[in-house]
Amino acid sequence: MLRPVYAVMEREVLRLLRQRARLAAALARPLVWLLVIGAGFGALYDPAGRAAYQQFLVPGVVGMTLLFGAMLAALGTVHDKEFGVMRMLVMAPLPHAWIVIAKLLAAALVAALQALVLLAALAALGYLAAGAAPLLLAAALAATAFACAAIGMLVAAFSRTLENFAAVMNFVIFPVFFLSGSLYPVQALPAGLRAAAMLNPYTYGVDLLRHALPAGAAGLGTDFGIGRDLAVLALFTVCATALACWRFSREAAHEPLVRRLARKGA
Amino acid sequence: MVAARGLTKRYGEVLAVDALDLDVPAGAFFGLLGPNGSGKTTAIHMLSTLIRPSAGEARVAGHDVRREPVAVRRAIGVVFQEPALDRSLSVEENLRLAGRLYGLPAAEIRRRTEELLALFGLGARRRQSAAALSGGLRRALDIARGVIHRPQVLFLDEPTIGLDVPNRRAIWRYIAGLRAETGVTVVLTTHYLEEADDCDRVAFIRAGRVVASGAPRALVENLAPRILEVEGADLEPLALRLAPKLGPALNDGQRLSFCFHGSAADFGALQSELAGAVEALRLRRPNLNDVFLWVNATQTPAPPARAAAR
Repeated sequence: MLRPVYAVMEREVLRLLRQRARLAAALARPLVWLLVIGAGFGALYDPAGRAAYQQFLVPGVVGMTLLFGAMLAALGTVHDKEFGVMRMLVMAPLPHAWIVIAKLLAAALVAALQALVLLAALAALGYLAAGAAPLLLAAALAATAFACAAIGMLVAAFSRTLENFAAVMNFVIFPVFFLSGSLYPVQALPAGLRAAAMLNPYTYGVDLLRHALPAGAAGLGTDFGIGRDLAVLALFTVCATALACWRFSREAAHEPLVRRLARKGA
Repeated sequence: MVAARGLTKRYGEVLAVDALDLDVPAGAFFGLLGPNGSGKTTAIHMLSTLIRPSAGEARVAGHDVRREPVAVRRAIGVVFQEPALDRSLSVEENLRLAGRLYGLPAAEIRRRTEELLALFGLGARRRQSAAALSGGLRRALDIARGVIHRPQVLFLDEPTIGLDVPNRRAIWRYIAGLRAETGVTVVLTTHYLEEADDCDRVAFIRAGRVVASGAPRALVENLAPRILEVEGADLEPLALRLAPKLGPALNDGQRLSFCFHGSAADFGALQSELAGAVEALRLRRPNLNDVFLWVNATQTPAPPARAAAR
């Protein structure tokens, strides 16, 4: 059971290393947010000053890398449905639920690798303040990567084609990102938005990253406790994965694939 | 090795496969033949556990497709109409990925990869990406991918569809080599009937049902010793005129075909009788295409000869 899972993970890493543009974007996107938007909003944000807001944003952009990295890798499953690899996977001697587990692990791994590259860049730029907790950071990266990959697998298990990929970007990734504590403290949001953010599992990932990468400034701290963050992330990951596994074990999940293979003959 | 009883797949009102019975012994080279839309692919999809039967049962390599799909998948190789390859990976990497999905150890994968690259003429392309391969080589790689774990049964769904003649010949050569080397049971579908001549046994299916089955040679011999073709301007009256002597004809718009049981002398007499009335008169050996056309013609009031001849 483990060799196939490992094979799927290795393929995902190989693909990431070959798609230079994807790697470059994974690094550039958070840096643009941090250096451009961070500076802009920092200037508006008077009390703690520019540097403080940028420092507040550091865990947010690390989370962003995990979110985009894991979601794009997990949504690659939909791409695989159309371009052949899924045929190899569904014919492998594994229960189909294992495909979800393998893809989830692969997506989380690929996301964590991208976050580590970003963290190295942030350290080189001097944005990693002293007081970072390495063990907590590792746990936060892993828990957030898995939760983001689980969101991605959930979407992938239920979407039929890549055509709605743009829709997924607009209606899943962006709301998940904006309705979280990535850019602003959840406590400071108006009640409606705060409720939405608190229903968003990714919010707890960012909060956990903020525990691990403390900004130091008063008024821009964390929103929840470490225990609550970890519990929410773990619970969400387990439930979303179980649902995606269930969906993948049903024939309906593979209907587009079957239909395409039956197009010429039948 | 493959046995199906009453295997049925229903999509809403449509019966894609209607109570199919099949028996394929170990080591056989079995052809499932029929026009587009006859249910061949759906049958292969059920036997390879990609879809679940609506009714009936099937055992492949001793395992029930419904209750033990994972065990069935471990024992079979499947090559679909479209490649199951990762286009971004190289030839070698595709074979390695497939081998690991079957849980093969690294040394075994290396050994099998070398064997298959040699057998399928892909040795020089091992580092090329699958996307860069020609259609024929990609199909060859897809078949190599399907047999890396030495399956007991290999399902090939239209293995030569979309390929030109030299590539089609190459694919058949590879499959023959594979059978000689491993004794694998092969179940294939095709609508190029001339390609099914080498099968030990074929089953013609139409609208999801087996309408004729047997060894290709026996089917051909049972049809008629010769096929008589008549070309002319006005085929319908000609068919009516010749029917008492020659029996029913197939009219494909270009010519009439009769099952000819007569002697050379009968043919000579016919030639003199019809001189001037027809454009051409030809006697030839029957083939699987004729079997297929006659099977269809006798099962339906209006013979769909043109559609079936594609």
